[in-house]
Amino acid sequence: MPLTIALAGNPNCGKTTLFNALTGSRHHVGNWPGVTVERRSGTFEHEGSALEVVDLPGTYSLAARSDDERVAAQFLASPEVDLVLNVLDASNLERNLYLSTQLLELGKPVAFVLNMMDDALGRGINIDVPALEILLGGPVIPTVGNREQGIDDLKALLAAMARGESSRCRRITVDYGHDIEGELRALETEIGRDEVLKVAMPPRWLALQLLENNAEAKQRIQESHAREAIGLQLAKSFAFLEPHLGADGATLVAERRYGFAHGLVKEVASAADEGATPTSRLDAVLTHRLLGIPIFAVVLVLVYSLSFVLGKIPQDWIGDAFKGLAAFAAARLPVGELTSLLVDGVIPGVSAVIVFVPVIMILMGCIAFLEDTGYMARAAFIMDRLMHVMGLHGKSFIPLIMGSGCNVPAIQAARTIESRQDRLITILVTPLVSCSARLQVYIVIAGTFFTPLMAALTILAMHFLGLALAVLMGRLLRSSLFSGPSAPFVMELPPYRLPMLKATLIHMWEKGSIFLTRAGTTIFAGATLVWFLSRYPGIANREWTLEYQQQRQAVATLNLPPAESEERLRALQLAHESRIVNTSLAARLGQKVEPVLRPILDPEHKRPEAWKDVIALTAGFVAKEIVVSTMAVIHQASEEPKAGERLSPLQVALRDGSGLTPLTALAFMIFTLIYTPCLGTLAMIRREAGSWGWAAFTVAYGLVLGWGLAWATVAIGHALGFA
Amino acid sequence: MTQNPPISLSLLQPGDQGEVVEVQAQGPVRQRLLEMGFIRGAVLRVVKLAPLGDPMELVIKGYHLSLRRDESACILVQRLA
Repeated sequence: MPLTIALAGNPNCGKTTLFNALTGSRHHVGNWPGVTVERRSGTFEHEGSALEVVDLPGTYSLAARSDDERVAAQFLASPEVDLVLNVLDASNLERNLYLSTQLLELGKPVAFVLNMMDDALGRGINIDVPALEILLGGPVIPTVGNREQGIDDLKALLAAMARGESSRCRRITVDYGHDIEGELRALETEIGRDEVLKVAMPPRWLALQLLENNAEAKQRIQESHAREAIGLQLAKSFAFLEPHLGADGATLVAERRYGFAHGLVKEVASAADEGATPTSRLDAVLTHRLLGIPIFAVVLVLVYSLSFVLGKIPQDWIGDAFKGLAAFAAARLPVGELTSLLVDGVIPGVSAVIVFVPVIMILMGCIAFLEDTGYMARAAFIMDRLMHVMGLHGKSFIPLIMGSGCNVPAIQAARTIESRQDRLITILVTPLVSCSARLQVYIVIAGTFFTPLMAALTILAMHFLGLALAVLMGRLLRSSLFSGPSAPFVMELPPYRLPMLKATLIHMWEKGSIFLTRAGTTIFAGATLVWFLSRYPGIANREWTLEYQQQRQAVATLNLPPAESEERLRALQLAHESRIVNTSLAARLGQKVEPVLRPILDPEHKRPEAWKDVIALTAGFVAKEIVVSTMAVIHQASEEPKAGERLSPLQVALRDGSGLTPLTALAFMIFTLIYTPCLGTLAMIRREAGSWGWAAFTVAYGLVLGWGLAWATVAIGHALGFA
Repeated sequence: MTQNPPISLSLLQPGDQGEVVEVQAQGPVRQRLLEMGFIRGAVLRVVKLAPLGDPMELVIKGYHLSLRRDESACILVQRLA
């Protein structure tokens, strides 16, 4: 069994960089059980000793209020952990030591890393490391994580501790003073009556949390048979301490911890230079009262262009490559079910998964870069006022805006929001933001039914509608499902730092591969299901297949010029597919649900074929742009316009043959915007929200809201005299 | 020297310094603020307000922190000259 080391520390202390430096590429990213908090673990060997390192989420405290803190506190208290490695930011020692005072209470050996020594020196802070070792009662290794300085010393120390060769750990805890220590001992005695509690964590640690009025600790006590005795003693302690020391338990405990940290820093470190730091000089511009917002807008445009304009290039390659592959397979294989499964099911399914990877990797790389430089906190600082009005956090802004490129990575980007409530709300409203796939549907529909100017305005209006709905839904969720006390906005503005390219690349790779392995299977399965629904039973009809083959052969024997022959063959293919799709299970479903959709798609009962829209919408579940290609099949009309014509054959067919009016076309667009997130988005919601329940909730509210708004559009339009 | 009565942190202007007198928030917010260094006697300096007027940036315990008015209104400070 290798020894397990838990890496604990504040956010922004360089923990993950250190973790990467220790474990190299030998690490694994997963989730902590039951929560969507990333769990990184890896191994390294040093002179024959194998060690396992687990990177805990960065926290300021072990108070177990957020998921991050709960995960860290529970893991640190578990017997799995043999050694705690506390990473300290040398340039911000006092606040970092607050967490150390808690770690020292856990009764495990603690070693310390004094990271970012270069930053500290740059600010004129000199730290007496031997003195710090004595005062903290454990070994201290100075490092510069992003230059891998001190990593070998650290590995050697950890290996020595693993072999039991280093006995530099003494148990040191904060001295809370005579009065508090007395109450702590009394509480410990009561806690000691319950063997289970006593073993689960050091009684003194639990007693401290009780004095702090920690909800989680009080919950623990409620499950104990000694709860009355403990509760009685706690009340006694409060009654004694509050009047005696002039403050409540939480204040007293925090004061003593900071007292310890402050005294220690005074002892071992010289004061930082006064005057402007590079960070304050940068902030003078980046969060400037007038310049802050325009600069943020530029950053946003840059990130957006990198992800969705640059990212579209490899995306198109992937799309084209798979289309080519499908065409190649279709041309070589005999017409039939298996070929259709491959050509219309598997290949587009795999394509639908892989096509997301470039955007995800680029956007996640940008987000990681913004996080690691420290700018993300500034972006949240700048936008928080606006987002607060919506019931959200400043950090929700970037995911929402990025949603207009693609919802999938936008939902992944919500990871940066610490509070679970804020994160969930952001995840649940992001699908309302109109993405570039839906744009393709608007372009076809609006281009058919409106003048070019009106079409452009309508398309713009759809995007605003999406954002407005996200805002409204956010407020609604905040006041209904998430009406509990909102997480306080207490956000550190860390010093600006230049991130390491390697760390950003590792992060991009991780995000891309997590998407492929976790969300990929869902998307693929869903795509295959939709293929089944829209092809059966027609695809298995031997007579139709035979007929189609004969027609193709007939064309081949005509000896037409290649271009014309090609065109005829394509028309035949479209007719054949159209026959299959229009009699498919999806079509039957369409006929079944058509009465429900009639008020929005066929308010005047003039469209006998309104059920065909349902086929397109069902297919659009895989990816919204498929709505267009499915319509092309349904209406047997190509989506490519002929040379010199404004409207494509599909648009002409929609205008003349579908029975849609400008008003119902608008309703159709609104419904397409809202009715359901695509499969990729759903798979991501399930992953990031942690359950299928939330994914189902998004579909359900989307359908209801989409129907309602489309209906209102039709009703109001009628009342105003539009048709 | 007579001391002014403590005022809420949200009333401090950029550039002002203050000394924490009391955190009046309750529950998790209280504990969070205490952990971040808002303990009696801690000296802080308001750096600026965000472009839209909220939140505020301040320096406490040697690091930069931002707080919404909702939170800063529940912290009592003594303004320092």
